[in-house]
Amino acid sequence: MPTLIRWTGQRAEAAEDPFTNVADETPTPRGDVIVSLQRFQAEGRRLLAEGRKVGVRIESNEAVEDIADDLPQLAVVALVFPKFRHGQAYSSARILRERYGYQGEVRAVGDVLREQARFMIRCGVDAFEPADGAAPQDLTHVAFRFRHVYQRAADGREPAFVERQAS
Amino acid sequence: MKALTGNRLDDGEAVFLGREGGWVERFAEARLFEDEAAAMAAEAHAKTELTRVVDPYLIEVIAADAGHAPLSFRERVRALGPTNKPEHGKKTEGGEAIEALLHAHGAARSKGRIDLIRRK
Amino acid sequence: MYRYDAIDAEMLADRTQEFREQCARRLAGEITEDQFKPIRLMNGLYLQLHAYMLRIAIPYGALNAEKLRKLAFIVRTYDKGYGHFTTRTNLQLHWIKLRDAPDILEHLAQVGMHAIQTSGNDIRNVTADPHAGATADEVDDPRIWAEAIRQWSTFHPEFSFLPRKFKIALTASPADRAATKVYDIGLRLHRSDDGELGFEVLVGGGLGRTPYLGATIRKHLPVKSLLSYLQAILRVYNRHGRRDNIWKARIKVLVASLGAEAFAREVEAEWEASDAAHVDLPDTELARIRAAFAPRGFARLAARSAAFEAAKADPAFARFVRRNVKAHKIPGYAIVDVSLKEPGETPGDCTADQMEAVADLAERYSLDEARVSYDQNLILPHVKLDDVPAVWKALGAAGLATPNRGLVTDIIACPGLDYCALANARAIPIAQAIARRFADPARAEAVGELGVRISGCINACGHHHVGAIGILGVDKKGEEFYQVSLGGSPEADAALGQILGPALPADKVAGAVEEMVEVYLRERQGQERFIDTFRRTGLAPFKEAVYADAH
Repeated sequence: MPTLIRWTGQRAEAAEDPFTNVADETPTPRGDVIVSLQRFQAEGRRLLAEGRKVGVRIESNEAVEDIADDLPQLAVVALVFPKFRHGQAYSSARILRERYGYQGEVRAVGDVLREQARFMIRCGVDAFEPADGAAPQDLTHVAFRFRHVYQRAADGREPAFVERQAS
Repeated sequence: MKALTGNRLDDGEAVFLGREGGWVERFAEARLFEDEAAAMAAEAHAKTELTRVVDPYLIEVIAADAGHAPLSFRERVRALGPTNKPEHGKKTEGGEAIEALLHAHGAARSKGRIDLIRRK
Repeated sequence: MYRYDAIDAEMLADRTQEFREQCARRLAGEITEDQFKPIRLMNGLYLQLHAYMLRIAIPYGALNAEKLRKLAFIVRTYDKGYGHFTTRTNLQLHWIKLRDAPDILEHLAQVGMHAIQTSGNDIRNVTADPHAGATADEVDDPRIWAEAIRQWSTFHPEFSFLPRKFKIALTASPADRAATKVYDIGLRLHRSDDGELGFEVLVGGGLGRTPYLGATIRKHLPVKSLLSYLQAILRVYNRHGRRDNIWKARIKVLVASLGAEAFAREVEAEWEASDAAHVDLPDTELARIRAAFAPRGFARLAARSAAFEAAKADPAFARFVRRNVKAHKIPGYAIVDVSLKEPGETPGDCTADQMEAVADLAERYSLDEARVSYDQNLILPHVKLDDVPAVWKALGAAGLATPNRGLVTDIIACPGLDYCALANARAIPIAQAIARRFADPARAEAVGELGVRISGCINACGHHHVGAIGILGVDKKGEEFYQVSLGGSPEADAALGQILGPALPADKVAGAVEEMVEVYLRERQGQERFIDTFRRTGLAPFKEAVYADAH
């Protein structure tokens, strides 16, 4: 299983990954799988009926709106960063969490580097497949670098203007 | 004829691969490559060194009156310093080599720079 | 002026520490240049021809004595004793070392300054009318909203990896001193028919390779909905802007390809689907920011100052008043332009000594405020008319009193090939050559309002597209050539310039400008400015004059 790091809300932890990332041309193995949007649209019903946990991989040019109705059945949404500077997935993550109230795992895959983990966590990502060999403590360190935030996002952190109201 | 140039990582200074193998600040001390293959090998090697020079690239060099000079105007500005401030940059050192750079004429773009822009 | 509270200060401290760590990782080779570059850019650090360049943010151009003195210290200690003010009201330092950058950021943080998001594919420094808070013709102080946007956009987790850079400008006056029509988002404050304060929202303006004027996508947005609406625009852009081609990645291309109406519908749909209350600022926070900009310290003065009027007996002072002193909304006060365009000097450059001179004047004579304007000059916004003569003398001693605001010698020029790794040609020597021809202040004044703007490449940082005379440096077979355009304007009557003819060699440009000025002086009717005459005559007489002796 590839390295998976989970964000608990307090810290990053190494985790066992029960999911297999399945490429489109590959037959589905047993167990929990993450498949492409296209494959899910073709076979998703069947896969879920087989009692496995199913995740969908959303490419940077695909819309999370297309799985909005299926979210209650999805254990994982994997958002692809084709290059770390392709930031569409930040919007996708926030929409999943804030618009659809998605409670499952939002996983960052692709060119996932520790210096961007802070932004990903704020947007609602809670699992990572790092591309730079980052260890859980690297992500924990990056996540808490800033004592305050200026704006609300998907992580529930109070923005500065709320802190100011309290004082 | 070519030379290899880049900017030093820690301070951004324009530097050239020197004749002894290290990186030098003066164009006059740059190693000049007659052999294309040797030039490209040096560039490829420089790119593997993460902590010395950023984005090394090859530049065209021509014979000038009293030495050599980069072919392109842009590279001569790099080798000399900004033209609006006579007191800033490498040209303040003066001497023959600087004079050669100041009076050189070129007629083509620096090929190395075109490649660099395309890579982005 | 907005003063950083403990939270703002801790933001900067945390950012400085983060960058210190990231720099150390880079210098130790733990991350590659490719991985480090966006990080470095998000802290305003470019690699240029001779050294690193640090672009220090000056949010909506606002400075005070403490900040100016710190900038003077920094340019003396870490640079070569000067800085360059840009068309984005930031300050660029051209001789910076990467290893010094964390220390410089720490110094800046001590006075509430930073280099956050002055580069990179993020939301950049927000600019606003430099006369904010001093001009009678504004419906509200745009700095309030610029500060709200600054905070919201800083370290925004969703919008730090956009397809390309993103720039927002604000004006609250019918006279647009912030060039809002050539910005990714231009925000124009106004009152609706029933008196409600709101924004006209323009999107998709920009210069560069393909210049566009912004399109209005919303005629009236109530001010309290500003941030949620901006989120909608940015989200549509982040999701749908092109990332395959750097020249097609700005929002202006997305707006043009969808069409303004379709784009507006996308934004409205996104806005409606989102929870605006989650984003918009509560009234308490808006009130807090507003209070920071409330006018304070003004004396009750007569509208007319005998000392000021008497000083005008000196023709040099009278000229300075005509060109560089503007009406203030408070009786007895004036807005004073500080020129960074002494003919022969590099436009926009300012030495440490000059920064300190302006700091002293701001503190003593301008309620401790100075501003950077988008034409690369400075402003002392709140000077008593009684004090203008003394301020003028002090500015003169520092080389800052050239009476040329808006004239042919008030040239906007980018650093160009002398400094910038992107440039094709030099801009500064062209500016110097033109300015020297019109160095006689009487002559410059006789020519009148004429915006000359020079860019060293198509990235257009010198805003040549919106110059009455625009000059674009190009590389023709290794030699520097310059394409001239006429008739551009950045103001409320915004227009893009029209190309005059084939590009001119470097040594012909200043002469061509002189010839075009001669044509204008010959053709002008009544009080026409250069641009008015051009709009009436078109290119023909100018083209004829410049290319008469075809080179």
